Amino acid sequence: MQLTHKRDDNWSRLLLRVGRHRDPHAFENLFNHFAPLIKGYHYSRPNLGLNAEATEELVQNVMFKVWQKSPSFEARKASASTWIFAVMRNCRIESIRRHQQKSPGRINVDDIWNDTTDHQPFVFLQQLRSEDFVGHSLQKLPVEQSQVIKKIYMEGKTHGEVSTELGLPLGTVKSRVHLALRKLHQSVTR
Amino acid sequence: MARHHPDNNLLLEYAAGTLDWGLSLAVSAHLHMCNQCRQQVLHLNHIGGALLEMAPAELPSRETFRRLMGKIEQFQAGDDDNPAPGFRPAKNIGARIAKIDRNISDDAAFGNLPKVLRKLLQDPGLKWEKFSKYVRIARPATGQNGFEVFFYRIARGGSMPQHSHSGLEVTLVLNGCFSDVDGIYAPGDFLIREGDEDHAPTATEDQECLCLCIEAAPIVFSGLRGWLNRPLSYFRESSFS
Repeated sequence: MQLTHKRDDNWSRLLLRVGRHRDPHAFENLFNHFAPLIKGYHYSRPNLGLNAEATEELVQNVMFKVWQKSPSFEARKASASTWIFAVMRNCRIESIRRHQQKSPGRINVDDIWNDTTDHQPFVFLQQLRSEDFVGHSLQKLPVEQSQVIKKIYMEGKTHGEVSTELGLPLGTVKSRVHLALRKLHQSVTR
Repeated sequence: MARHHPDNNLLLEYAAGTLDWGLSLAVSAHLHMCNQCRQQVLHLNHIGGALLEMAPAELPSRETFRRLMGKIEQFQAGDDDNPAPGFRPAKNIGARIAKIDRNISDDAAFGNLPKVLRKLLQDPGLKWEKFSKYVRIARPATGQNGFEVFFYRIARGGSMPQHSHSGLEVTLVLNGCFSDVDGIYAPGDFLIREGDEDHAPTATEDQECLCLCIEAAPIVFSGLRGWLNRPLSYFRESSFS
């Protein structure tokens, strides 16, 4: 089942309700929309060792964190999808580290990837347009570009791992990423 | 403003969550000091959000929702009076600063350092060792062993001994400035060096230079001074090996 790609800030409104009022109905709606996507994001493609059971647990962990951190969600900074993506990414990193039995140490994943509680001064330029544009543009990318982007995000691979897997020079993988980012309206200043 | 930054490929791996812990630490600290890169990461997060919305939907088991609600109820029952994580204000910063080696806590400078690095620097177990006449180093407990991570302080006008490295080296200038064969670097500058590049960073005359350094392989010190080599027990293939 492929979902529609219309950017809907209904999710942002629901997430705000969860953050401000702990609204269980709003949370359930959020769950019904995002939980299948979180599962599909990780489970529909080969990835870093997440089997079915681990994926279910990840879904649970992500949605718990979404509930827990929702008070810090600010709609003007990012949409619910972007914010939940960041929570999900941190959960995945944490679960991989747990799986590798890394010692907790003094710093945790939220110290290093701290965008969900980022209270830095924020520049509001082109925010909403950017998110809309990305969604539409991703679908229009040539397959060789969308493929590397998806392998990095969804399969959790580095450029090096993608290069090895596809039998391409590292430079080729990097430049496909550059081309994709330019089309996705990202600034390629370096 | 920083003039040297992680490139877009590195930022992409960071945003996607596939970049090694040690390198991500350096990127994260740079982001604290660089608006431009922070904006770029925000754009890269948008891509993640769009990919999430485009993912094929796979229905989770009913058990998952049930367990989740149970966990939430449990949390609510036990924890109503505590602020959500992330909202706890840091306590006793003043007392902690006093414990740290006095040379490092020019209070204003310390307070401006990225929070993740302050956490590492505030570890009472962190030991500053004299490495050479002008250089002191400390190895923070970062919870990973894929990369060597250390802070170094070069006394004003002093140099790090000439060295080269066979692998990747990332340097983030935190306070003060240093110069080497390629230029002068200031707070926020994020530098990557690879391969056999001999260099000897020299602090400017006016103040001590504090840097964060991440290295993928043992570095080789030219001249008489040696470096304690540590075996790498875990190294994941990255774009930069």
